[in-house]
Amino acid sequence: MEWANDKSKGGVLAHLERLETQMSRSCKNLEDPPRETAESDLGTKIRKLRCLRDKLRAEVKQRQARIKASTANAEPDQTLEISEQEAVGGKEENMKAILQAYRFTGINLFASGLSGKRTSRGVCVCISTAFEGNLLDSYFVDLVIQKPLRIHHHSVPVFIPLEEISAKYLQTNIQHFLFCLCEYLNAYAGRKYQADQLQRDFAAFLAGPLQRNSLCNLLSFTYKVEPQSRSFPFCARLLYKDLTTTLPTDVTITYQGTDASSTSWEEQRASHENLFFTKPLHQVFTSFARNGERLDMSLVS
Amino acid sequence: MDETVAEFIKRTILKIPMTEMMTILKAWDFLPENQLQTVNFRQRKESLVQDLVLLCENKRASLRDAALLDIIYTQFHRHQKVWDVFQMSKEPGEDVDLFDMEQFKSSFEKILRRALKNVTVSFRDAEENAVWIRIAWGTQYRKPNQYKPVFVVYYSQTPYAFTSFCHLKSNTPLLSQALTVASNHHKIVKMDLRSRYLDSLKAIVFKQYNQLETKFKSDFHGGILAERKEPLRCLIKFSSPHLLEALKSLAPAGIADAPLSPLLTCIPNKGMNYFKIRDK
Repeated sequence: MEWANDKSKGGVLAHLERLETQMSRSCKNLEDPPRETAESDLGTKIRKLRCLRDKLRAEVKQRQARIKASTANAEPDQTLEISEQEAVGGKEENMKAILQAYRFTGINLFASGLSGKRTSRGVCVCISTAFEGNLLDSYFVDLVIQKPLRIHHHSVPVFIPLEEISAKYLQTNIQHFLFCLCEYLNAYAGRKYQADQLQRDFAAFLAGPLQRNSLCNLLSFTYKVEPQSRSFPFCARLLYKDLTTTLPTDVTITYQGTDASSTSWEEQRASHENLFFTKPLHQVFTSFARNGERLDMSLVS
Repeated sequence: MDETVAEFIKRTILKIPMTEMMTILKAWDFLPENQLQTVNFRQRKESLVQDLVLLCENKRASLRDAALLDIIYTQFHRHQKVWDVFQMSKEPGEDVDLFDMEQFKSSFEKILRRALKNVTVSFRDAEENAVWIRIAWGTQYRKPNQYKPVFVVYYSQTPYAFTSFCHLKSNTPLLSQALTVASNHHKIVKMDLRSRYLDSLKAIVFKQYNQLETKFKSDFHGGILAERKEPLRCLIKFSSPHLLEALKSLAPAGIADAPLSPLLTCIPNKGMNYFKIRDK
């Protein structure tokens, strides 16, 4: 996966010119279609390739300028490599897909955590995830520019519905495919982060381990809100039915203490439900901890 | 403690190599640390095992505890088993999978028990939201055979289950059904994929690749390979954490001729490493 830097071949521009000569040479060998039609067909192809070559020339210049500005280690002669198969195959859609792919990697999508680089086969897109300003895991998808577009390699976890998302968008709208995948991965990373934080920082508030699953879309735990209390009166069950969100879609808090008749428990239970719906998991427990401290202070004074 | 349970525990502990004894017993967490410290681990193995079994008897170890020890032993010695891979599938357009581990376990066990009165089912949670399941099969009239259990490793919310080779093929349909229904799937098929190495199987079916890129440069001037009159004959052994990937990358890197034999390249793509060659 590197910028094609084959100086001996003279880069893509020389490559294209060689393809042109090859085409004009091969058209002399064509037997079946009448010479005139064959010539005009190839003529159109040559014109289209020339047009593409000019477009690519412009984009290469743009890219070079951008790279020179941003990286010190940039190689001076950055060129695109288009395989002979793709160029000569005459598949217009292939070229469009390549350009489209190239365009989005050129666009600054760093805000959404997407970045890409050209490979000899197509594009390798890297998706970085983050939650609340914390940079989390990165995943990559290695796309092969062919008809049909396909994923060669990826590091997406197996429980993320990559096949579904590909089936829906990969062939028709690469950008949407990537944004959708980005959504799923970021949401998963965010849910995982919350669950990990809860287990790590608030273990004292939980009775037993946090029950979770691979997608972190079902969390179940028994907890208390007062650090000194010996019992764990609340049971929580959080469901995240929307895999693109980091807040639960269903929250069930049950009170399992002995004092079931008291209204204050019911009030607490209801307020907890609301908290879990609206705040990230670990923040809910941070506020429990803070309230507990406040309670402490009031007892002391 | 039941004699059969005592015998089972004794035979399981006897299998454990002395070097792993402490680690496995600690992982089992049945005999507390202070009790383990009273045992002389330097004596002959048979005597050590006798002491340990006595401690287990005093603590009234149950079949459940013994089965858990068996799972832990197998986890430490997973390469001793040959693992098959089953692939499950759902109907298209299904709702989001809200996998509940406790529901899965209870559902799985219920399905087995409904069909077979005599069966021992045990679970141990593992890392990465996976679960190890141990099943000892019995029949209508015979108690479960604890010495020929089947192990299943299942990672939640994935379509794959890894099962240790089972001699009793007759129970496979029931096992398949339990797995499928408990994990909210509809169909299950056995893949042509088999290995002693769970990690390799995981890497193949989960299709996850680490983006490792290393360029190897060597100065050939004056080396053994430089300027030879005769070709160098040697045997090269390839070993790598991802050997197939490494071999596949030889062609694009310009080091080997393409295309590679399809037998090599189809292993990750088709998820097969088990090929049947028949006469034409």
